[in-house]
Amino acid sequence: MSLVTVMFYLMAVIAVGSAVYVAASKNLVRSVFMFFATLFALAGLYVLSLADFVAVTQVVVYVGGILVLILFAFMLSGRESLAVLAQQTNRLIAVNKLPAMLVAMAFFGLLAYVFLHARINDAPWLQEAAANQNVFTPQDVTINHLGVNLMTTYLLPFEVISILLLMALAGAAHLSRKEAEA
Amino acid sequence: MITLTHYLLVSAALFSIGLYVILSKQNAIQILIGIELMLNAAILNLVAFGKFDKINNGGQSFALFAIVLAAATTAVALAIVLNVYRRYKTIDPGKINQLKD
Amino acid sequence: MTSITPHIDSVVVTCTLLAAGLPLGASAVNFLLPGKTGRASGWLSVLAILGSLILAGIVFSKVWNAGEWSVQQAWFTIGSTTVYAGLLFNNLSALMLLLVSAIALPVHIYSTAYIKAAEQNRYFTYLSFFCFSMLALVVVNNLVMLYAFWELVGFSSYLLIGFWFTRDGAVKANKKAFIMNRIGDIGLLSAIIILFVQYHTFDLTLLFGQNGLVFNSFMRNGLWMAPAHQLPAVWQCIAFGGVFLAVAAKSAQFPLHTWLPDAMEGPTSVSALIHAATMVAAGVFLLGRVYPLFNTTELDILAIIGCFTAFLAATIALTQNDLKRILAYSTISQLGYMIMAMGIDAYASSLFHLVTHAFFKCLLFLCAGVIIHEVQHIKDEHQLDIDPQNILYMGGLRKKMPITFMATVVGCLALVGIPLTSGYLSKDGILIQAFEWAESRAWYYEILPVGILLTSALTAFYVARLIFKVFFGEFKLKEIFPDIHLHISDGSWAYRLPLILLALCSLFPLFSWNPLLYEHAWLFKGFLPVDYLVRENVYHAIVPALINIISVFVVYWAYAVYLQQRKLVFSQKSFLFKLSYHHWYIDTFYQQVVVKAVVAFSQALFWFDRQVIDGLIHQLTRAGKLLAGMSAWADRYIIDGFLLLITQVVKGIGSFFRSFQGGKVQYYLYSMLILMLTLFIIKLLV
Repeated sequence: MSLVTVMFYLMAVIAVGSAVYVAASKNLVRSVFMFFATLFALAGLYVLSLADFVAVTQVVVYVGGILVLILFAFMLSGRESLAVLAQQTNRLIAVNKLPAMLVAMAFFGLLAYVFLHARINDAPWLQEAAANQNVFTPQDVTINHLGVNLMTTYLLPFEVISILLLMALAGAAHLSRKEAEA
Repeated sequence: MITLTHYLLVSAALFSIGLYVILSKQNAIQILIGIELMLNAAILNLVAFGKFDKINNGGQSFALFAIVLAAATTAVALAIVLNVYRRYKTIDPGKINQLKD
Repeated sequence: MTSITPHIDSVVVTCTLLAAGLPLGASAVNFLLPGKTGRASGWLSVLAILGSLILAGIVFSKVWNAGEWSVQQAWFTIGSTTVYAGLLFNNLSALMLLLVSAIALPVHIYSTAYIKAAEQNRYFTYLSFFCFSMLALVVVNNLVMLYAFWELVGFSSYLLIGFWFTRDGAVKANKKAFIMNRIGDIGLLSAIIILFVQYHTFDLTLLFGQNGLVFNSFMRNGLWMAPAHQLPAVWQCIAFGGVFLAVAAKSAQFPLHTWLPDAMEGPTSVSALIHAATMVAAGVFLLGRVYPLFNTTELDILAIIGCFTAFLAATIALTQNDLKRILAYSTISQLGYMIMAMGIDAYASSLFHLVTHAFFKCLLFLCAGVIIHEVQHIKDEHQLDIDPQNILYMGGLRKKMPITFMATVVGCLALVGIPLTSGYLSKDGILIQAFEWAESRAWYYEILPVGILLTSALTAFYVARLIFKVFFGEFKLKEIFPDIHLHISDGSWAYRLPLILLALCSLFPLFSWNPLLYEHAWLFKGFLPVDYLVRENVYHAIVPALINIISVFVVYWAYAVYLQQRKLVFSQKSFLFKLSYHHWYIDTFYQQVVVKAVVAFSQALFWFDRQVIDGLIHQLTRAGKLLAGMSAWADRYIIDGFLLLITQVVKGIGSFFRSFQGGKVQYYLYSMLILMLTLFIIKLLV
């Protein structure tokens, strides 16, 4: 068993386990912080999948942006909500959670069934990519190539996403203004 | 040997957990976290498949786009959650049902 | 009767119709204008009856001794039988028409003063209606209409007896009169039906006229033979029984006479017109109409009943203290004379007596009315607790009301049958013929004339008692209540005029130029066959003399007893006195036997109805209720339950599906996911 395999399983267990904790935790703050762990583990998985830039972006944007934003929003929403949230019973297995649990399990079962029976590793385009040397190897430096591609092949989506981000931020700022100013 | 199937199974697990969170929680912020989980599961798939596209970098590029989009949606969603809280003094989506039939 | 060729005279018909119609019109006007018409309604009726009298006079002048004829018009047809409405004109019709209107006029005038103004509207409605019924009754020409007016007369009598309907006695009396008359009506109706079955006609002329159907029918081999039909002989007896019942009820003959004294609860003017002069004479009139129907035996029965009634009523009248009741029993007694006269073949005398009696008895009642009115006045003024009709409270009224006194004396003399009065003529006729009738028969038939003679003596006694108690001596009321003021008088001209008129009519000149011989009365002759021979025999001299001697003696005796306070001949404790005082216990007997039996029978029926029939019905009800309860249970728990179950199911499904549309985002998500799952699973399986 290579180190990569060990790392993969480690990261996968951390990711899934922390996600389960997020789902099961009674305490919102804890679950939010446990979400960090999930995101970090995922970043690790990206690295293992030879996408180091994406992993870095993941950490920066998610951990530095989204999670901080969530915590801010959470704290801005006042003590009452915190108290309410802290009190709520949030056991993993509860009667009122049962349908959600069943649906989620069913989805997982379905997805797993599909993935296991799809024999995705033998897909033609994967064979073709392997034949054309179109597969990342751990020795490759990906970031140059990615930057060129973003500015050439994916320029239009890049610009569109930029504008969208701008609009989203402006909208978020507008929405979160004080009521009295509206 | 770690194959695509492994990644897919992990992503499926994360997706299902996110689904569970969305369905079961009575807190808009937690639901948002569930959505993020599902998005991450999708990004994981993109990244995993992006390994086989060295020339065009399609998977990784769109993983980046997805991360950015997630940030944008989160920002807007949180703004909405704040507004809802201000108006209804709750962030339980089950209780915000004034538009029902 | 004269045999002048019958002819139809349209003037006579019109006059008759108008004579009967005028009172009806007055009655209708009074009925339709209720309320405050007051005395105006009285004068309207007086005018109507005056018109009737004049018209009746015209009719009488044309019809009297002018043969018998009738007019008729088809009324309605049932099957092959046509019932006619028509008028019959002969001496009897004309005489009765004139008599009724002639009696009614003074009574009407009298009533305008006698009845209070507030009550006059209702009173004259009834009275005019009675006059109409009575006038129509005497002129109709068939049995159906006769029966109809017979009933109407009884009905208006019922209304008038109960005129003061707030008095308990009046209500009881009119009920009694009505029920008694119903018994008679049943008899008359059965008789009419039998006659129709036998002769197929209702027409009086065809049935009872000269050479009519009844004359041509006879008895043979136990069969009653008519020209076109035959019945067992017993039906003839039943028909007679029916007619007799009708006569007995209407003319108050034993055993149905008890209603008449009670009927005195009505206003005195009503008693004068209806219960003394006219309506009670309707029974005698009916006998006159159907006279040819009877055979000898039946006539004997009539004679015996009449005689017995006359005697019975006279004995009762001896001891009564109620002024009007004395007169009522006297009326019954005199009606008994008439019935007996019919029975002994003294047809003409009977009707003659009917006419004379109508005048003098009406007169007596009106006098009684004046006296009662005055005593009532004293009673009201001093609020005394006395019966204003009780003669024991009266006395010495002779000087205070001279006209009333004179009129009463005339009426009483006529009643007793003293010469120079009309009563002498008619009553002597009956007595003489009774003796003649008995002479030709077995010895025990002598009881009848002797009885009637005795009755005549009793009549003299009670009449004398009445006069002496009321008009002579001292005013007893003054002795009992010394501090009362008396201002008794004869009253207004509306009282005096009728009294004087009727008093004149009670004297002989109206009927005969000869005050002693009844055979010379024009009225008497009008009812005799032309070949009637005046038979001069001993009775014609003896009987009147005998009667008068006896009467004078009896009157003197009464004078001695009542005015000179001699010792009473009979003790008030004796059996005979009690028998008389309590009306021979006939009322008590009816009450004890008939009424109680009927009441007991009704109660038995009531019990049966309540216990058995109602019980059955109650059981049925209970069963029905039980069934209904079961149905209700089944309905509630099975049918409704089923429906409720369906609604619950539908409601459950509805609320289940509604919950997906409850505005909860997560439920929307659920449904979406489940749908997706389902789709994928189906995709995988297929």
